[in-house]
Amino acid sequence: MSDQTFEPVLLRRWGKPDSQSLESYKADGGYKALQKALSMSNTEVIDVVKASGLRGRGGAGFPTGLKWTFLPKDVTGPIYLCINGDESEPGTFNNRVLIEEDPHQVLEGIVISSYATRATTAYFYLRYEYGRCYRALKKAIDEMYANNLLGKNILGSEYSLDIYLHRGACAYICGEETGLIESLEGKRAWPRIKPPFPAIEGAFRRPTVVNNVETMACIPHIVERGAEWFMSMGVPKDPNNPRDAGSYGPKLYCISGHVNKPGLVELPMGVTARELIDKHAGGVWKGRKAKAVVPGGISMGFMTEKELDTPLDFNGPGRVGCLGLGTAAVIVIDDHTSMVDVLYNACRFFAHESCGQCTPCREGTAWSTKILERIRDGRGKLSDIDLLMEIASSIGTIPGSTICGLADGAAWPMKNAITKFRGEFEEYIKSGRKSESRQLAGAH
Amino acid sequence: MSELSENAKKVITDHLGRYPSKQAVTLPALHVVQEERGCVSNRAMQEIAEILELSPAQIHDTMSFYGFFRTEKDPLGKVRIWICRSLPCMLRGGEELLAELCDRWGIQPGETTADGKITLELAECLGACDGAPCMLVNDELSLCMTADQVENQVRGMP
Amino acid sequence: MPKVIVNDIEVEADPKDNCILAARKAGVEIPHYCWHEALSVVASCRMCLVEVGEKKPDGSVVMGPKLVPGCQTPIKEGTIIKTDTPKVKTSQALTLELLLLNHPLDCSICDQAGECYLQDYTYKFGKAQSRLDEPKIQRDDKYHIGDQIALFTDRCVMCTRCVRFTREISGTAELQVVARGSHEEIDVFPEKPCNNKLAGNVVDLCPVGALCSKDFLYKKRVWWLKHAESVCTGCSTGCSIYVDQNEDKVYRLRPRANPLAQGHFMCDEGRFGFKYIADERRLTHPRLSSSVSIPKEARGSSQGLGDLSFTDPWIEAIKVTRNKIKEAIKTDARGFVAVLSPFMTVEEAYLLASWLKQLDQRVRLVLGPVPMVGSDDMYPKGPKGEPPEAGKVKFTIRAEKAPNRLGVEAILRHFEGEVVSVAQVAAKADATAWYFVGGYQHGWVNEVIDRGVGKPSLLIVQDLFPSPLSERADIVLPSGSFAERDGTYVNHSGLAQAATAAVRSPGSARPDGRILMELTERKGLFNATSIRKEIGGIVRGLSALKIGDLGENGVKLNAPAKELANA
Repeated sequence: MSDQTFEPVLLRRWGKPDSQSLESYKADGGYKALQKALSMSNTEVIDVVKASGLRGRGGAGFPTGLKWTFLPKDVTGPIYLCINGDESEPGTFNNRVLIEEDPHQVLEGIVISSYATRATTAYFYLRYEYGRCYRALKKAIDEMYANNLLGKNILGSEYSLDIYLHRGACAYICGEETGLIESLEGKRAWPRIKPPFPAIEGAFRRPTVVNNVETMACIPHIVERGAEWFMSMGVPKDPNNPRDAGSYGPKLYCISGHVNKPGLVELPMGVTARELIDKHAGGVWKGRKAKAVVPGGISMGFMTEKELDTPLDFNGPGRVGCLGLGTAAVIVIDDHTSMVDVLYNACRFFAHESCGQCTPCREGTAWSTKILERIRDGRGKLSDIDLLMEIASSIGTIPGSTICGLADGAAWPMKNAITKFRGEFEEYIKSGRKSESRQLAGAH
Repeated sequence: MSELSENAKKVITDHLGRYPSKQAVTLPALHVVQEERGCVSNRAMQEIAEILELSPAQIHDTMSFYGFFRTEKDPLGKVRIWICRSLPCMLRGGEELLAELCDRWGIQPGETTADGKITLELAECLGACDGAPCMLVNDELSLCMTADQVENQVRGMP
Repeated sequence: MPKVIVNDIEVEADPKDNCILAARKAGVEIPHYCWHEALSVVASCRMCLVEVGEKKPDGSVVMGPKLVPGCQTPIKEGTIIKTDTPKVKTSQALTLELLLLNHPLDCSICDQAGECYLQDYTYKFGKAQSRLDEPKIQRDDKYHIGDQIALFTDRCVMCTRCVRFTREISGTAELQVVARGSHEEIDVFPEKPCNNKLAGNVVDLCPVGALCSKDFLYKKRVWWLKHAESVCTGCSTGCSIYVDQNEDKVYRLRPRANPLAQGHFMCDEGRFGFKYIADERRLTHPRLSSSVSIPKEARGSSQGLGDLSFTDPWIEAIKVTRNKIKEAIKTDARGFVAVLSPFMTVEEAYLLASWLKQLDQRVRLVLGPVPMVGSDDMYPKGPKGEPPEAGKVKFTIRAEKAPNRLGVEAILRHFEGEVVSVAQVAAKADATAWYFVGGYQHGWVNEVIDRGVGKPSLLIVQDLFPSPLSERADIVLPSGSFAERDGTYVNHSGLAQAATAAVRSPGSARPDGRILMELTERKGLFNATSIRKEIGGIVRGLSALKIGDLGENGVKLNAPAKELANA
C-alpha cells in the first residue's frame, strides 16, 4: 500500500529552480552525507548500506552492500567503480530524470560509494542519447573539482577520486555490467563469461563494482539518515522465504503507454500496478481498460488485467509469472491493442539489440521476429505458437544457454504473451488477417 | 595531411590519461571525429588505430557494433533525428510518426534527405517514454511529437 | 589426478582440463565450435552445453540446475559430466537448428564437406528438418579477405576463432567482427587483407566451410585425400604436419597439433611452400656422364648389370656410383669429401656416413650449406609489428631454413668428430672427389660453392633439381623430396620427429634412403624405424632414437639443443 503522506526522497528537488547547481544542492543539505561518510571508515559505510537492505535498482536487484563486499580484501593497485547510466530498457527513464534534475545527488552517491569500495577512479558510463544529462553531469563534475568534492584529498580527507564521463553509442547491451565494461574498454560490448565476476576481475582486469544511477542516488540518504530509516519504507522480507532480501526504500516508478498521465513517480517499494495506473497516471486512456501491463521494462514480460493488484516489489511480478521487477517501468497496453503487434515489437527490439555473441540469442531473437512478422502478414501457422514457446524456453541464462540475461529478457515477453494470451494468437492466426499497425518489418 | 583535426587529436590525447588502456579511448575518439565530420572515414580510423596502438580492424570492429557511427560511404546529414519505435512509443504512435516522416521526406530510416540536411533514424527506446512518441535531435530529446512538430523543429535549426 | 565421471564412465583427468578435455579422455565427444585449445575461451557458440554436477565424498550426487558450457567449466575430483541427457540433447539439436537457419545447403560444392563440424555434429546431434519458413539470408562472398583466404560469408557460424587467432596468436589483428546480432559478419579493414605469415591457419581453425584456402579451393574433395604424418622442412621449427595427397599428388599441408613441436599451427611459408616438389624441373632420371658410364658394347652379363639395366637405369647408376666412390677413395681417401645437407634425414645421413667411414676413415664428411634468411620471426606481433616479450612467444618462424641441421650434425660429430662446413673444405681446395647430397629447393648452388668444388676427378650429385654442379657432375642421382621420404628430423630444440612418406617420387627419382640402402649394399628395403634403432645404439647424441617408434609427437633427445651442439 502506498503512503499518501510519502515525502519524495530521490525526487525531492525535482522541479526546483536551478536544481542542477552545486549551490542549490548544498543549500538543500547536499554533500553533508559525504562529509559524514568521510568521517567513517570505508567498512562502516559498507555496513550501513548492507544493513539498509538496498538492492540494485538497475534490474537484477542484487543487494548493493553485499556486492561491495565481494571485492578482494587485500588489493594492491586500483579498484574501479563503474556507474551504469546506460538505461535503455524500454519504458525506463528514471535515471534520465534523476541526472537531469539533480546530478549532484547522484554524484554524491558515487563519491561515497567509491570511498566505501576504495575505488580511486569512477567511470560514469552514460548512454549517448542522454545529451542533456551529459552536459548536466559535466557541469556538476567541474563544480565538484572546483570545490574540493573531487580530485585530491576530498574535503580535506585522505581520500582522492576522479570521475570520468564515458558516453555510449546506442547499444542496449551496454547496460549488462560486463558488456558495459567491454564497451568502456573500447571493444564491442560482448558480455563476458563469469566467473570471474567484475568484483574480482572487471574493468581493465581490475576489481570493479558496477552500480546503477538510482542506486547511487539512494546512497547519500542512507548514509545520512541511516539503515533503519531506509528499511522503514517498502516491503519487508518474506519470513517464509529465507532467500528473500526484502524490498526496502523508495523506488522510482516509470509509467508509460496507454495511460492519461505518463510520468515518473517516487513511492515506497511495493505499490501495486493498479494503484500506479489509477492513482498516479490518471487511469487507462480513452476510458479503456488495460489488457496487459509490463511490470518493469519490456524484458520482464506481461501481467494481465487480473494481475494488476500485484505489488511491484522485487518478488511481486515473479509471483505472476513475470521475470521480475526489473527497472520498475510500467507500460500499460489497452484492450484495443493486438498482443501480436506488442510481442512483435518486443521481439524486434531484442533482435536489434542482441549482441550476437551467443548462438541461441543471436539466432533465436532474429528467428522469433521473423515468425511474428509472418504472423502479422497473415501467413502464420498454429504451430508457430509452440515454436515461439520452444525458442523462448530454450534461450537465456535460466536454461543456461547464453552468457548474459538479454535472452531471458527476450524470452519472457514471448512466454508471457503466449501463455497468457494464447487465445488471441490462435484467433489472429486462424483469421489470416494482416496487422493494421504500421510497424516497419525487416528493420532489426 | 592528417585526417584528424587538431581538436580531435587533443581530445584523444586528453582522454589517454583517463584510462589504464589506450583502447578505452576508442569510443571517445570515434565520437569526436563523427561530431566534427558526420562520419568516421577509413583514414580517420587508421589514424585513431595508430594513436591507440591497435589495428584499424579493431577500431572498425568496435565502431560497427554500435550502429551509431557512420563510415565515409554513408555520412550523416546536418541534423540527425531519431524517432523511437520501442513499445511505449509504438503504443502512442511512434511507428506511425516514423512512417509519416519517411513518406514526407521520401526516405527510409537510416537515409538522409536529398538536400543533405536531415538524416532520419529509427531508434530503440530513447528513455523518454513519459513523452511518447519521442524524438532525439542530435543528442537532445523532444517529447510528444507529431510529424508537423518535427518538421517545424527541424526547419528552425541552422 | 582428479577423477571425473562422464556419462557413468569414470576417468582420470588433468586438473587443468575443462569438461571437453575431460570427456575426451572418457571417449566422449562434446561438440564445440568456438572453443579451441590454443585460443581464449569465449563460450559463445553454446554447442558444448552439458549438465554438470558433483559426486560428494559421501557418495551423494548433486547436479547443477542449468546447462553449462563444457569449454568454460573446470573439473575437479568428483565432477560429473552428463552429455547424453534429454536436456543436453534437446539443446544440441536446437543450437544446430539455429546455426543452420541461414546456413546455405551448398555442401555439394563446399570445400569443407567431409571435414565439416556442421555436417558431423548435425549428423550426430542434430535433426534432419529445419522449421524455418522464411527465405534464408544471403550474404556476399568475400574473396578479399587475404591472398590465400576466401570467406563464404553465409556459411559462417560466428565462432570468432579466426578473429581471436589474429589477435592472440599472430598479433596482427587483421580480422574483425562487423556489425551486431544476426547482422554480424567477419571481414578485414578495407585494403588491409589478412596476409600475415600465419594467416593460413584461420582456414584450419574455421570449423565450417566459411574460410577457405584459395590454393586448395575446388581442387579435391577431401574424402579422396590420404593424410601422411610428416614434418615441415621449411625451417628448423619443424612443425608437425599432415601431407594430404591423392594419387601421388600433394594437395595441401596442414599443421598437426604437437605440444612438443610448434603447438597447433604452421606458417604460410611452410603451408604453401610445398609446390616445388611437383616442379617440372625436378631431376627424374639418374644420369651418368660418358666418362663414367659403362660403354654400350661392354654391357652384358660380364658387367653384372643384368638384363634389367635397360628398363631400370638405377641398376647401372648404383653400381657405377659405388665403384667410382671406391676407386676415388682408394686413390685419395682424404681427398674424398661427402657433403651432407641439413635436409637429409638422420637415417640417410647415417647410412652414407657410416658406409663411407667404413670404406676408409680418412674420408671427410662435411655439412652442406645451412640456408639462413633474416632472423627468427616471433609471434604474436605487437601493435607496431614488434616481436613479443620473452616468455610470451606463441609461434616462431625460424631463420634457419632447414629441418635437420642438429640431426645431421649429430651424425657428423659421431663419425667425423666435428662439424666442418662445406665452405671450409672448399676454401682449402684440397678435395679430389665430391659426393653432394642436396635435397634443397631449386637454386641452392651458388657461385662460391660451384667455384669451391673446382675440377675434381669425381663429382656425384644426389639432388632434386638441376644445378651448375649437376650439369657438370659425373653422376647425378635424382632424389626424393620431403613428401617422398621416411625418416627423422631433429628440430631446433632437439625434438626428433618421424616423417612418413606421402607420395612416390616423380619419374625414376627415388627417396634418398632407398638410394643409399642400395648404394651401401645393405640388405632389404629401407625401413626408418629399424635404422633408427640401430642409430640409437651407436650414435651417442642420438641414443633416444633407440625406441624406434617416435610416436606422433616425437622424442626429445636427452640433451637439450645447446648441449647437443657442444657434445
